[in-house]
Amino acid sequence: MKNVLTIARRELKSSFNSPVAYAVILSYLVFMGIYIYFIRGFYAAGQADLRDYFTIMPVVFAFLIPALTMRSWAEERRLGTYELLLTLPFAEGQLVLGKFLSSFVLAAIAILLTIPVPLMASLLGSFDSGVLAAQYLGVLFEAAAAVAIGEWISSLAKNQVSAFVGSVLVLLLLVLVDKITSFLGAGGIFASVLNWFSLAFHFDSFSRGVLDTRDLAYYLSAAALFLYLASWGLTRRKWS
Amino acid sequence: MIELRELRKSYGGVEAVHGVSFVAETGSVLGLLGPNGAGKTTIMKVLTGYHFPSSGEALVDGIDVAEDPVAVKRRVGYLPESVPLYQDLTVSEYLDFAADARGLEGDTRAQALERAIGACGLSGVRRKKVEDLSKGYRQRLGLAQAILHDPPILILDEPTTGLDPNQIIEIRELIRSLGQSKTVILSTHILQEVEAICSSVIILNEGRIAAQGAPSEIGEALKGEERIRLRLKSASSGFDQNRLSGVPGIRSIASFQAESPNVFSAEIAMPPVKAGAMEAGEAIFDWAVASGLKVLELERRRLSLEEIFVKLTQEGEGR
Repeated sequence: MKNVLTIARRELKSSFNSPVAYAVILSYLVFMGIYIYFIRGFYAAGQADLRDYFTIMPVVFAFLIPALTMRSWAEERRLGTYELLLTLPFAEGQLVLGKFLSSFVLAAIAILLTIPVPLMASLLGSFDSGVLAAQYLGVLFEAAAAVAIGEWISSLAKNQVSAFVGSVLVLLLLVLVDKITSFLGAGGIFASVLNWFSLAFHFDSFSRGVLDTRDLAYYLSAAALFLYLASWGLTRRKWS
Repeated sequence: MIELRELRKSYGGVEAVHGVSFVAETGSVLGLLGPNGAGKTTIMKVLTGYHFPSSGEALVDGIDVAEDPVAVKRRVGYLPESVPLYQDLTVSEYLDFAADARGLEGDTRAQALERAIGACGLSGVRRKKVEDLSKGYRQRLGLAQAILHDPPILILDEPTTGLDPNQIIEIRELIRSLGQSKTVILSTHILQEVEAICSSVIILNEGRIAAQGAPSEIGEALKGEERIRLRLKSASSGFDQNRLSGVPGIRSIASFQAESPNVFSAEIAMPPVKAGAMEAGEAIFDWAVASGLKVLELERRRLSLEEIFVKLTQEGEGR
């Protein structure tokens, strides 16, 4: 665990020493602000309901998270520090967890910084704080799964750009799967199975403020699966 | 102590190391010499747990690298050839990370940091960002990272590249003193470096050991003959190349050039000197005096590493 924290701390130090993290977080905040107040016409709707605001989150994350995770492994490989990291006394699993943790902390900082948006809105009406807490908890879980996917793709990519593009495509696909099945009018077991894989499908009840353990379990197991894949890939590379 | 047993390593079907075995004892500095692609770096990457062997074994203090890589990595300090550093950290942040990674704490940690910073001459640049450092400082920061935790095993891939002559002397001195209590393996292109700091040498060629032994042995074994460069002045003009054949024991004249009617320079080959026998230079000097010539310059020429490689590969083909 100490090793995991060492890696995460190093990652965060690097992130905050360079302007990229600030720029990404700021763009996210600006976008969410614009979205709620202008695009969705929050005031015009006249309803103290933030459901739309949260429904859009998985789509926004398909861009935000790759921007935070793209450097993770791809940059190490470009700088050659990959070799340093793999020759320090860390196990592969610790490296993967440490990097996941640091990207997740960045994502969580970005997410928690959006809290003033609904809070300001709450001055205008009465919000259920329990609903808001559930919504934010759901957002954090969804982010964790997305970060794990982004980390995995970064561990496969040769450079930041392909890590970013690859992660955006995969995340968008996973987010939009349930929209695609309903667009195609697919039904039955086929659609349910596909929908089950969708990151957005599992986010549905969270955005209504409902905590469903099946959805939590889905996000946690998705995160675990992709972190395992990343760690497995690192070990495999040593043999080839 | 480091032991390789019939180590083989291939990347994607291409074998980079074909069955290399050697032992490096504690308290010694082993130099790996060889042209690019000879397998030096691959051997180092296996010993640091970055790659696993395709077959054979690599043991570090008796621990198999493929079985317990983390235990091996704990014992090893490694300076990779590319000197990987985090560009966006400062020198002290980078070393702090290395100290954390090595699990150093409290007084040990503070002492280790001071010792490494002092030994590598980094005290003036602690607050500088790595990306602003010169190549020489980067090299020294990489070395500081490698020696930080006082590891029993040090693996240094071309440790003196990018340093100026004064720094090279300092770093060689540091490596030599570290080699008294540790097992040090370093790779280099420079023969003088091997002679200056290594207690034994392995010359690699195309993934195989081409020669090994103490630096002096290897030099002698490969030379086969002495090369002497001469500048002579004769009292009278009309000197020609044929008179050089009067040098006792001369094998051949490699080059001859008249600079002026009575000053000329030449390079000649002499048989290797046997212990106790007269040195080549002495014989030439006596001959010159007897022939009424003045010796302006007399130099025993070393075979360069390139020539040694040429020799080794040619011998390999001849077999």
